[in-house]
Amino acid sequence: MAEGKDKKKYTTISIPTPLAEKIKKRIKGTGFTSLSSYATYVLREVISDIGKESKEVFSKEDEEKVKERLRSLGYLD
Amino acid sequence: MRLDENVNYIVSGLERSGTSMLMQMLYASGLETSFDNSRPSDESNPKGYYELAGGKIINKLMDGTFPLDEYKGKFVKITAYGLKYLPSGNYKIIYSERNIEEILDSMEKMADLKDDNREETKELFIKLNSMIKNLIQNRDDVEFLLVNYNDILSNPSINVKKIYDFLDIDDIDLEKMIDAVDKKLYRQRKI
Repeated sequence: MAEGKDKKKYTTISIPTPLAEKIKKRIKGTGFTSLSSYATYVLREVISDIGKESKEVFSKEDEEKVKERLRSLGYLD
Repeated sequence: MRLDENVNYIVSGLERSGTSMLMQMLYASGLETSFDNSRPSDESNPKGYYELAGGKIINKLMDGTFPLDEYKGKFVKITAYGLKYLPSGNYKIIYSERNIEEILDSMEKMADLKDDNREETKELFIKLNSMIKNLIQNRDDVEFLLVNYNDILSNPSINVKKIYDFLDIDDIDLEKMIDAVDKKLYRQRKI
């Protein structure tokens, strides 16, 4: 078979079946025609964010302060 | 009204974000909800907290002693931080959000103290909210519905329909769920 087009460069990845089912439900009625096209879109978004400084990291220190607040409200011992 | 007995149903959100109101709504509609009187109703929650263990479920989740299996097929209230400690399972979570300034006002009133570091507290709870939402969104064993307390009070019918669609069971008394929304208890209003 002659390869007239450029070689398609794709890699197959695996995701858990329950996740795949969730995604199929989510993309019904949207412009995404396949699991692959949606996954590609999401991963591109994620990759473009990596490297940006995140101001929303929830540090251990933050966590201790939250716990202190929850104690004052009676939600933690 | 029977919920799926293979699923743990949870009402969650930051403290003072409308979680008790959601539990009241679900209870009023006839759905199975679990709560006790270990923390009685008070000025902060005149109709009750609709929670278990005096609100100290988080401690039990942290040390692995909360018997989640016993609560399958029922709604329990677990505030946001507690979701970090959910073991593997099968969950449907209704997660409530509310205007953050209203939450902080309500927390100060409940704790009966003025927060001198309010801006810091605000940032902390915004981060916590964001972290927990990311966490549950990325779990394969969780389905969740995000609702907004302020919007429930403005548009109860629309939000009750969202909850009905999310739960996907028949025979919920939607009128009673709507009626349980008590605008008189909407205090610390900012919007």
